[in-house]
Amino acid sequence: MDETILVEKAKNGDKAALSQLVNAYSGRIYNLALRILRNKEDAEDILQETFLTVVEKLHTFDGRSGFFTWIYRIATNASLMKLRKKKLVFKDLGNDEEYNESMESRVFVDWSQDPSINIYDEEVKTKINEAVNKLSDIYRSVFVLRDIESLSIKETSEILNITEENVKIRLRRARQFLRDILSEYFEERVVNK
Amino acid sequence: MKHDHSKERIKKMCDMLGEDFDSPKCQAMAKQVNACPTCKVYYDTVKKTVLLCKENDCNEELPSDVNNRLMKLLDL
Repeated sequence: MDETILVEKAKNGDKAALSQLVNAYSGRIYNLALRILRNKEDAEDILQETFLTVVEKLHTFDGRSGFFTWIYRIATNASLMKLRKKKLVFKDLGNDEEYNESMESRVFVDWSQDPSINIYDEEVKTKINEAVNKLSDIYRSVFVLRDIESLSIKETSEILNITEENVKIRLRRARQFLRDILSEYFEERVVNK
Repeated sequence: MKHDHSKERIKKMCDMLGEDFDSPKCQAMAKQVNACPTCKVYYDTVKKTVLLCKENDCNEELPSDVNNRLMKLLDL
């Protein structure tokens, strides 16, 4: 059944329609929360919180954005709130201009072609997870939506309620941050081979 | 005034790092970075970083107990 019709039916109290919507989105919402929060219990909390909000606020959904964008916005905001409440201290990303200038004098080791650097290596997996855990909330959300969930710049900007330019800036900084964290380990690994 | 081409190239490359790697703009820029060894290594390692993060992520099946608790909570 068309999603717009399902949403209308659910708005009018049709439990079967609501159930179909829950089944259609619960897996995606659970994974989205898991990617942002990186903890299964927290992801379940967000899943429940998201659908309770959907039930409570469905009458306010006016269809200006798609249902997918609307529910993703609820889940992302709830995940970010939870992440902020944990009061984790994230590594500072610094200043773009200084960063670009520092690049001119830096020597980079190319570890991108090393076949031993792959996700079948447990140590590599651990390093990737550690790096993503260090990414602060505003960058992590963009990185998850764009690079992991493969959403478009437009979809990401609508979900996070930021401009498309801001999505690009945050994504660039997230990618650079992760590269630098991983490079500390991978460069050494390649050099010491 | 003397132009610092390396600085310009680095800035141009960095500006593109928020785009899709396979977008035409990014593809065109990727060809240009070959002229700047620092830019090329940097760009390739950023791309590899994203690829590793993508590969490391696996979509988890919603556990049935989690789904059951959700349905119960929503009275569905």
